Amino acid sequence: MDIPLSHRRFRGRTALAAPGTRTGARGWPPAAIVLLGTLLSLFGLSWDVQWHVEVGPDTFFTLSHLALYSGSAIAGVASLVVVLRTTAAQRAGRAVDPRVGGQAVRVFGGVFAAPLGYLVSGCGAAMFLLVGLWDQWWHTLYGFDAVLDSPPHVALFLSISITMIGPVLTFAAARDLRWGRIGFLLSMPVLMAFSTVTVEGLSALPSIGVNPMTVGSAFLEVLLLVLAASCLRRPGATLVIGAVLGALQGILWLFSPWAASAYAVAVGLPLRDNVRSLPAFPSRIPLFLLVGAVAVELVLWLARRRGWSPRWVLPVAGGAAGVLLAGLTPVQAQLMVGFSGTALRVFVATTVAGGAFGALAGFLGWRFGIMTRAVGRPAAGTRQATEAGVA
Amino acid sequence: MRMRAVTRLPGLALALAAALVFAVAGAAPASAYAPVNIVHTERVTAGPYVVTIGFSVWPLHAMQSLDFTFVPDGGIADKSGGLFLEGPDMPPHEKAQPLARHPRKRDVWGLDVRALPIQGDWNFGFAIDGPLGHGEGALAAPVAVLPQPGPPLALSWSITVIPVALLVLFVVIAWRRVRPGALVGHHLE
Repeated sequence: MDIPLSHRRFRGRTALAAPGTRTGARGWPPAAIVLLGTLLSLFGLSWDVQWHVEVGPDTFFTLSHLALYSGSAIAGVASLVVVLRTTAAQRAGRAVDPRVGGQAVRVFGGVFAAPLGYLVSGCGAAMFLLVGLWDQWWHTLYGFDAVLDSPPHVALFLSISITMIGPVLTFAAARDLRWGRIGFLLSMPVLMAFSTVTVEGLSALPSIGVNPMTVGSAFLEVLLLVLAASCLRRPGATLVIGAVLGALQGILWLFSPWAASAYAVAVGLPLRDNVRSLPAFPSRIPLFLLVGAVAVELVLWLARRRGWSPRWVLPVAGGAAGVLLAGLTPVQAQLMVGFSGTALRVFVATTVAGGAFGALAGFLGWRFGIMTRAVGRPAAGTRQATEAGVA
Repeated sequence: MRMRAVTRLPGLALALAAALVFAVAGAAPASAYAPVNIVHTERVTAGPYVVTIGFSVWPLHAMQSLDFTFVPDGGIADKSGGLFLEGPDMPPHEKAQPLARHPRKRDVWGLDVRALPIQGDWNFGFAIDGPLGHGEGALAAPVAVLPQPGPPLALSWSITVIPVALLVLFVVIAWRRVRPGALVGHHLE
């Protein structure tokens, strides 16, 4: 893979389109399909977790697995089609609009030209397929355990997360178009919601007196919030993301127990004894993201008004949001499942660590946002010219 | 035009989804679940009650899931109670749980596809309430759980982080190309 900086890197075979409304406007259908695929994965996962909690019996052939797997399949096939179309367009010397998935990068030495967003979502889907084979082998060795944090399961979650990063980049590339901004504000909460399960892998870390999943979750949430603020440069964008995540959480809260029960009835299986019908996965989605978003927006607003340097403001904004998000996690557990299970010493250490990692996330998130803005920029031109366009 | 075929993608996606739905819908889900086959049993005396613990796999290995059944003499119909699991590094809040019917064998209590995570000695205890009153008891000798099968966990986790490593590599390449640090500036716009 090679990310081009200049027209020359395409060996003279790429014609770069001047950004025009027409081609950009036509970029939304494949982007929407990839986003739909990732949504299907998110709902499939929530349904599957609820199925294991409330009903139990497992095979590869359950409808929740179908939703989970077909989500990646849809995202992967759509990404592949766009890559093939872009490759064909490039070989024919036709214009390639970087707002359709981002700059086209050379893959396999120039055999394919892949818009960056679709390359990432396609690679995530392909990885999901490979890791799925490993997961099947794992189950032949260990049985059909319903353990979320087994190594192949965490690798599957990571692959889906990478698939979900694809539409974030794709929509960011079209952020000067309405569908691009709307898609960005939808795809970011999908990635955030799914990250809730991805950080389960951190439970394998040795215990050092903090809750690694809470810290990891706070880090990712702050990173993505600040990235969004940096990429869109529109005050209030992170508040919209927080609100959309809240809406997603609400929908999943209603959907997951209903889907598990309805499917159990449809296939003639009873519900488990002694089970509280509590939405297992939605209860882990960060309830207080909006609070973290308010902290980020407030610090950035003050920084703009008073001319504070972003070099220290961003870590401060991230640190404040990190402290809030990590510190409020036990409150969420108490509210949603009636049990936080956190000792005071662990709570304090986890909150402090959340602040430290939040500061790092603030530092990185803004820079990642700048990189994300560069995705939809035409590749031609000098470094100085393109940087001017970003800054 | 280049994008014309791309706009046909919804149809393609719907066709793919429909094909998958029909393929899986024909799999008769209820009959696809494996029966509970007990290959080993142990007996526990809990006061006036005797409970037979059934294992679908024997011997036990760490992390390897199996079905457990718990059957009091005379059946479960007029009884209730709790299960107590004691093992290495068992979190206190997971040690006790109410006895529940096995999802695939509803005439007995049980645990479905459950793995004991760590090798070592594990004990099973019961508190039963029934027509003969209350009774408690545990296995006279704990069950030995052997080491996990398969490759070492460190190797498995190393494979798990490959997607993360690729993502980090991607970010590093992009960082070197864009050099965002130089673009942060002195003021937020």
